[in-house]
Amino acid sequence: MKKNKGMIIAFMTPAVLMFVLVFLYPILRTILMSFFKIENITDSFSKWQFTGLANFSKLASTTLFKQSMWNLARIWFIGGLIVMSLALLFAVILTSGIRFKSFFRAVIYLPNIVSAVALATMWLQYVYSPKFGLLKNFFSAIGLDSLAKVQWLSNDHKFMALLLAYCFGMVGYHMLIFASGIERISQEYYEAATLDGANKFGQFRYITLPLLKGVFRTNITMWSVTSVGFFVWSQLFSTVTADTQTITPMVYMYMQIFGAGNSMTERNAGLGAAIGVMLSVIVVIIFWLCNHLLKDDDLEF
Amino acid sequence: MKKRTMSLILGASMIATMLAGCGGSQEAATTAAPAETTAAEAKTEDAAPSGEGGSLVYWSMWESTEPQGKAIQEAVDKFTADTGIKVDLQFKGRTGIREGLQPALDAGTNIDLFDEDIDRVNTTWGQYLMDLEELVKASDYEATANAGLMKACRDVAGGTLKSIPYQPNVFAFFYNKAIFEEAGVTAVPTTWEELDAACAKIKEAGYTPITNDDAYITCMFGYHMSRLIGEPATETVVKEGNWDDPAVLKTAEAYADFAAKGYFSETIASNVWPAGQNQELAMGTAAMYLNGSWLPNEVKDMAGDDFQWGCFSYPAVDGGVDGVEAANYGSQVLAINKDSKNAEAAFQLIEYITKGEFDQKLSEYSVGIPADSANTEWPALLADVKPVMDSLTTRYPWAAGAEANADMTPIIKENFLNLCGGSIDAQGFVNALKAAGN
Repeated sequence: MKKNKGMIIAFMTPAVLMFVLVFLYPILRTILMSFFKIENITDSFSKWQFTGLANFSKLASTTLFKQSMWNLARIWFIGGLIVMSLALLFAVILTSGIRFKSFFRAVIYLPNIVSAVALATMWLQYVYSPKFGLLKNFFSAIGLDSLAKVQWLSNDHKFMALLLAYCFGMVGYHMLIFASGIERISQEYYEAATLDGANKFGQFRYITLPLLKGVFRTNITMWSVTSVGFFVWSQLFSTVTADTQTITPMVYMYMQIFGAGNSMTERNAGLGAAIGVMLSVIVVIIFWLCNHLLKDDDLEF
Repeated sequence: MKKRTMSLILGASMIATMLAGCGGSQEAATTAAPAETTAAEAKTEDAAPSGEGGSLVYWSMWESTEPQGKAIQEAVDKFTADTGIKVDLQFKGRTGIREGLQPALDAGTNIDLFDEDIDRVNTTWGQYLMDLEELVKASDYEATANAGLMKACRDVAGGTLKSIPYQPNVFAFFYNKAIFEEAGVTAVPTTWEELDAACAKIKEAGYTPITNDDAYITCMFGYHMSRLIGEPATETVVKEGNWDDPAVLKTAEAYADFAAKGYFSETIASNVWPAGQNQELAMGTAAMYLNGSWLPNEVKDMAGDDFQWGCFSYPAVDGGVDGVEAANYGSQVLAINKDSKNAEAAFQLIEYITKGEFDQKLSEYSVGIPADSANTEWPALLADVKPVMDSLTTRYPWAAGAEANADMTPIIKENFLNLCGGSIDAQGFVNALKAAGN
C-alpha cells in the first residue's frame, strides 16, 4: 500500500499533540520542579528557587520520609504476598467448577464496591475496637483473654491493622484478574493431564502456574502501581495528622504541597515533585524487573 | 500534492475543533488548574462577569448539606432578594478549597470572596487578600464585632485587617459536669495541681478522668509546653529540634506522672479518632477531653440531651510563663480577593453572613459561637464556653505550636501516645524525639 504521509500526519497530530500536552509536558515539568524550591504549586517560574539536588538530599535525611518509604515497602511486600496468595487461591477454587460460583465471586469482590470510608470506619470503630470490637469478642469467646486485651490500634499493631483492612478490600480485584487468566487456559490440557494421572495439585503446579506468568506480571504491576499511590487508607487511619505507622510517601507529598493537618507548616511543591519522580522511577524499575523475570513469550497456548 | 494540502487543512481544522471543544478557555488549557476549576470558571464567565451587573462569586469551604452551608445559603438568598445582586455560591468542601483555591486564583479565576480557617487565609493565601480597614470603618462594622477575634485577624495579617471572622472556636478542656459533681469536684481546675486533685477524685469515683484521640493528642503536648515557656518558644523547640530544652522533659514528666496514676483512658494509646470522644466522653465513662468548641455539636446525638457540658482553659503550670488566659482560639474567616471589582457588595454580603439574623442562625444550626457580639444568646451546650472565651487574652495557633514542623508531628504523636499509654517513660519520650533528629 502506498504510504500517504499527509494522511498519517493528519491523523497522528491530534494524538501526538494531546500526548505531549497531557503526558509529556507534566512529566518534564515535574522533573524540572524537583530541582527547585517552590512554595506554591502554581507559582510562576520566576518565583522558583533553584536548589539543585537539595530536595532529594533532604528527603534522604528526613526520618519521617524514610519511615514512609519503609511503610510503602512493607505494604508492597507483605501486602502483596497476602493479596496475591489469597487472590490466586480463591481464583483457583472459583474456576474449579464449584456451585454458586458467581455468588462467591460477587461476595469476594464486594469490598471493592463499598466506599473505602465506610470500610475503614467499620475496621477502626468496630472490628479493632478494644471495647466492643469483633476481635475482642471473638477472642474472649474462645477464651484467649490475652489476645482479647490487645489494643489493635496502638503503635505496635497499627500498621498490621491497616494492612489487613486494606488487603481485605484488594483480594477481590486481583482474584478477578487471576480467574480470567485461568479461564483462558483450555480445558483440554487438564483433561489430558487427568488421563495421564496427574492430581489437582500437579495440574495446578505444572499447567496453571506456568500459563499464568503473564497474568502474574499484570497483577504485580497493578499491585505496585496501587501500592505506590497508597493514600486514602492512610488518611482514613490517621485523620487530621499523619501517623508514623500509616504514613506513605504519597501522604508525605500531600503534606509538603498543601500543608500538614491544621497547622500552617512550610510548603514546598518541589519536594513533592521530587517524591513523585522517585516513586515513578521505582514503578518503572518494578515493571522492568517483572518483564524480565516473568517472560511468557516462550509459551503459546 | 493537492491531496496532501487538503489533508493538512482537514487535520488542522480537526485539531481546532477539538481545542475549541475544550471550553474555549485558553487560561484553563494552559495552566494546571483542576478540571473543576475550569468548569466553574467557564460557568461564571458565561453567567455572571463580576462588576458588570452586580454579581459575586463566593467559594466556601463548607458543603451545602452542612449546618454552616445551610445558614450561609440562607444569608446569600436574603442578600440577593434584598439587593438584587446575584451570588454564584460554590460549596467546595474542605479539601476542595484547600487544594483548589490557590491554583484558581493564580489562573485568574474570578472569585470575589472565599472563606477558610483564620491562619490559612491570612498566611498561606495572604497575598490574595484585599485590605478591609476602609470598608470596616465605613460601615462601623466593629461596633458589634468580637474584639479579640478582630485583633487576632489583624495580628495574623501583619497589623492590618484582611479578613472578617465568623464561627469562632476555642480549644480547651471539655468535661462532663455530672461526673465532676458525683466525684465532688466543685471548682474547675486552674492549676496543674488542682487538675491532679480533680483527677484523683474522679478516678476514685470510678470514672476515667481524661481521654483523647490520636488526632488531638499533640495539642496536649503543645499546651503544656506553651504553658511552661510560651507558644513562640514551643514553636522554636519543635521547628529546630531543641529536644534538650528542659521544658520537653518537664512536660513529659507531668504526663508520665498522670499516666502512672492511671488518669488516662486505658485505651488512650490506641484511640483512633473519634473513638475517645464518642465511645468514652459522650458515653459518660470519661470526664475530660481537650478539644475545640465544635465537640459538643459533633457528639450531641450520642451524648444525649441530659449531658451537661462544662469547659475550662488548660490549667497553669508551676513556674510557667502562660496561664489560663492563653489558648488556641480562632475562627473561620471571610476574605475578599484583592482583584475583586465588586468589593463593596462582597463586604455587604459578609455583613449578612456574620451579623444579626444569619450569624444567629449559623450559631443555632451548627451549635457554634456567634461572631456578632450583639448576639448574646449562645447555644445552651456552649453556655460554659462563654466565660472561657471572654477571659482569653493570648492567642496560640493550632496545637499551641506543637504541629509547626510537619516532619515531626507524627513522631511527637506516636511517642506522646506511648507516654500517655505508659509504654515509655519521660526520658524515653525525650530520647525518641532526639533520635528522630529534625
